[in-house]
Amino acid sequence: MAKSSIRKISRRTVLKRSAIAVAACAAGVGGGSFWLGRRKRNSTHLGKKVIVIGFDGMDPQLARRMMDAGELPNLAKLRQGGGFRQLGTSIPPQSPVAWANFINGAGPGSHGIFDFIHRHPSEQCAPFFSAAETVSGKGYWDVGDYRLQLNFWPFNHKLPATLLRRQGVPFWDYLDEAGIPSTFYDLPSNYPPSPSQHGNHRCLSGMGTPDMLGTYGTYQHFAEDGPQGTVNEGGGKRTQLIFQQETAKAHLVGPENQFLKESTPTSVEFLVHRDRQANAAVIEVQGRKILLESGSWSPWIRLDFNLSTPAFVPDETAHGICRFYLQEVAPNFRLYVTPINIDPSDPAIQMAEPDSFVQDISDRLGLFYTAGFQEDHKALSNGVFSDDEFVRQAGMVLEERLALLDYALQDYEDGLLFFYFSSTDLQSHMLWWNNNDKHPTRSESEAKKYFGNIRQLYQRLDGVVGDLLARYGNRATLFVMSDHGFANFGRQFNLNSYLRYHGYLGRPECTSLFRDVDWSQTAAYGLGINGLYLNLKGRERDGIIEPGDQQEAILQELTQRLESVRDVNGQQVIHHVHRTDKAYSGSATALAPDLVVGYCRGYRASWATCLGDLTDEILLDNDSAWSADHCADVAEVPGVLFSNRTIDMANPALVDLAPSILNEFGLPIPSSMEGKNIF
Amino acid sequence: MDILVQIVTCLNRTANALGRYLLAPIGWLPGWFSMTIVSAMTGVLLLVVFKYTSNQKAIRRVRDKIKAHLLEMKLFKESAAVTLRAQGRVFLSVSRLLSLSIVPMCVMLVPVCLLMAQLALWYQSRPLRVGEGAVITLKLGGCGESSWPNVIFETNPAADVVVGPVRVQRKREICWHVRARQAGYHQIRFQVDHETTEKELAVGDHYMRLARKRPSWNWLETLLHPSEKPFPPDAAVQSIEIDYPDRASYISGTDWWVVYWFVISMVAAWCFRPWLHVSI
Repeated sequence: MAKSSIRKISRRTVLKRSAIAVAACAAGVGGGSFWLGRRKRNSTHLGKKVIVIGFDGMDPQLARRMMDAGELPNLAKLRQGGGFRQLGTSIPPQSPVAWANFINGAGPGSHGIFDFIHRHPSEQCAPFFSAAETVSGKGYWDVGDYRLQLNFWPFNHKLPATLLRRQGVPFWDYLDEAGIPSTFYDLPSNYPPSPSQHGNHRCLSGMGTPDMLGTYGTYQHFAEDGPQGTVNEGGGKRTQLIFQQETAKAHLVGPENQFLKESTPTSVEFLVHRDRQANAAVIEVQGRKILLESGSWSPWIRLDFNLSTPAFVPDETAHGICRFYLQEVAPNFRLYVTPINIDPSDPAIQMAEPDSFVQDISDRLGLFYTAGFQEDHKALSNGVFSDDEFVRQAGMVLEERLALLDYALQDYEDGLLFFYFSSTDLQSHMLWWNNNDKHPTRSESEAKKYFGNIRQLYQRLDGVVGDLLARYGNRATLFVMSDHGFANFGRQFNLNSYLRYHGYLGRPECTSLFRDVDWSQTAAYGLGINGLYLNLKGRERDGIIEPGDQQEAILQELTQRLESVRDVNGQQVIHHVHRTDKAYSGSATALAPDLVVGYCRGYRASWATCLGDLTDEILLDNDSAWSADHCADVAEVPGVLFSNRTIDMANPALVDLAPSILNEFGLPIPSSMEGKNIF
Repeated sequence: MDILVQIVTCLNRTANALGRYLLAPIGWLPGWFSMTIVSAMTGVLLLVVFKYTSNQKAIRRVRDKIKAHLLEMKLFKESAAVTLRAQGRVFLSVSRLLSLSIVPMCVMLVPVCLLMAQLALWYQSRPLRVGEGAVITLKLGGCGESSWPNVIFETNPAADVVVGPVRVQRKREICWHVRARQAGYHQIRFQVDHETTEKELAVGDHYMRLARKRPSWNWLETLLHPSEKPFPPDAAVQSIEIDYPDRASYISGTDWWVVYWFVISMVAAWCFRPWLHVSI
């Protein structure tokens, strides 16, 4: 009896305890998940998904034609659902300006970016990059040949820093504050990345991120027929290789050693052993061997640049990555090396928010391009690449981006996901040509052939959209957008030569804004791609135009004159000249140009204008491989907007996207934004 | 030098026989765990060797002296002369202590070198993964002007040649870029003027005992690369090296494993010192 009772009680106890344990576990797991979930995102978005895919420079005219021809079935499906509009771009339609419009949900008056290039009025036309500026440090300790900066007590030296010049509040700050996670991959106009106050925002910087040399991308080219020593050319360096017993020694130039009083570039030595018979070469760099056949690319290679310091301080190392491309073995050995990108697995500078984000990506994906401009257009422009070589290199960039997108989607749960593709922009700059006019560098058939690559690219990206639709359907709001469209660039206009010709810029024999301009004879000058500045008294150091009536008169006169410029064939060159005091509103207009010159399709500011140089002719043919552009008038190159939701707004613009995204998450539209909800 | 190479080869044979079996668990344990266990065990083992090869009595006496002099310095800190003299004696005693370690260090030097070489086979590099590429370099004997033998990389199921052979004239080297195809240990063969030469290739995604280099007839190279027999001095081939990838880990990864091994073995030895009654 007793035994039976014990057994009975024991079974019941076991059952009871099991039930209690299961209930406790369930409660614990549920409560823990709730607590963790609440901790993670104390927000109102309830798992809402918004995905924004940025195809930089996707053109609505081409997209429409291809949709009509059934070549872009997925985008056409979105169009059928009422989810397609042309997207109004920025004034001027330059990528840094346009993406900043997207970021702030407001125009350049709010973010203070008006062109790729700005100038310091107090230093009379001293140019600098608009999106970020490096400011030098303060204080140092002299030790022999070195200059040490120690940013701790008692020294408290101020280290040099790169500052993001974009002003205003980016729209993700509102998401961040509301506890809504947002992740951005390769976001332009956000280098260095703006900080996240609440830890719900992650960003990998895109356009604007420099290479290890601090430039937007400097390739290095080594060839037997190269120049003696190292010669810099826009966007690259060329060096002669001299072989002895089929071995040549060369140096890859790295970042400058800022610890030295006279900072000098660091370098990494490498050896090239050529085997003519095998039509291949062995490259030895920092203890690694790379075998390349003619026409083949190496994988990414890590490079360690030694930054020497005084003897009592351990040397520093800056980590970079590059790829080698063996173009030819014999008779003229040619080796291309990509710009030395910042190593994402051990970045030398902050290129992501939080810092570790880029390392997390690298842990999964390995090494990848980190510089803002990845397609090496300079190599094509400078004749280092043939057209086919550029197409191949751009294809490799696209493959890397697609792998990154795959990672991004695997890593994404909810909130906002933004992913940027540069391919549509940089490939279009080099391969676009959509009519039968004479191409700057290619025959008619070649121009058609390479334009076919753009069509293929659009189709490939249409497939990406198709994958996203298949994956998320209506469970996510999808935006597919571009910051501007594209147009041929056949003729170039030298704004400063025009101003000189009409007596606004002196002296008559002046050849450069930075060398021999006479500011006392200069009423107006052009800088950057679309900007025109008055030499205004009280604003510019050597200003001569009186603010008020004289300023107003000259602005009206210039506007009328520029809009009436005609090419030799009678074609209008400038579509519209925008007065920024009317086009821009906001508190960040201090560095704005006075006029923004909006060119007609087919035209753009000349290459010399961008460099501050003046040419004899005002209008001349574009002879560069950079054969298409978008720095025209805002009305000439709108972008695209696709969505899987019906777009109610008839003429949406870039500034409307941020308010629409906030609205999707149930957040109010801040008063600082100029845009409206498009749905 | 010939004798030295033969001695090292002979020692390697024993070390390989022991290492291959005693360290075999590394192949299936997590890297951090095996490294910690191996480091701790070798630390304790070396402590025992130290105990029986050193003059423990003399060491204890010197340590006591050091303590006495330190106490002297504390007690008579007002007197500069006494303090300075005590400091000098501490310095002398420390030197004496070091000299007492010379014998055990000499005894341990060779086994520790052999052990490090065995551990390097596991931790210094990781094997190729299937589909991954690596460069194989075959260094030929002879001088710059001598003729090049006909070298053929024999096809095998373990690896495909992607690029090569590429000849580096100045160094008398022939390189191939190969891609691994099958997991496991494989012998890759080279025909060098009708003679066959072999090198082991390791493919897998776990810890494997792998030899980066089949060494030349050189005692130091033979010591550092113990797994495979060195090439005879008169062979057409001087060495064959596979450029295995580095292993990324601060515990059991390339180069770092040595630091970790050193730290953990010291800590283990220090911890076990009271139980084993060893004075260091």
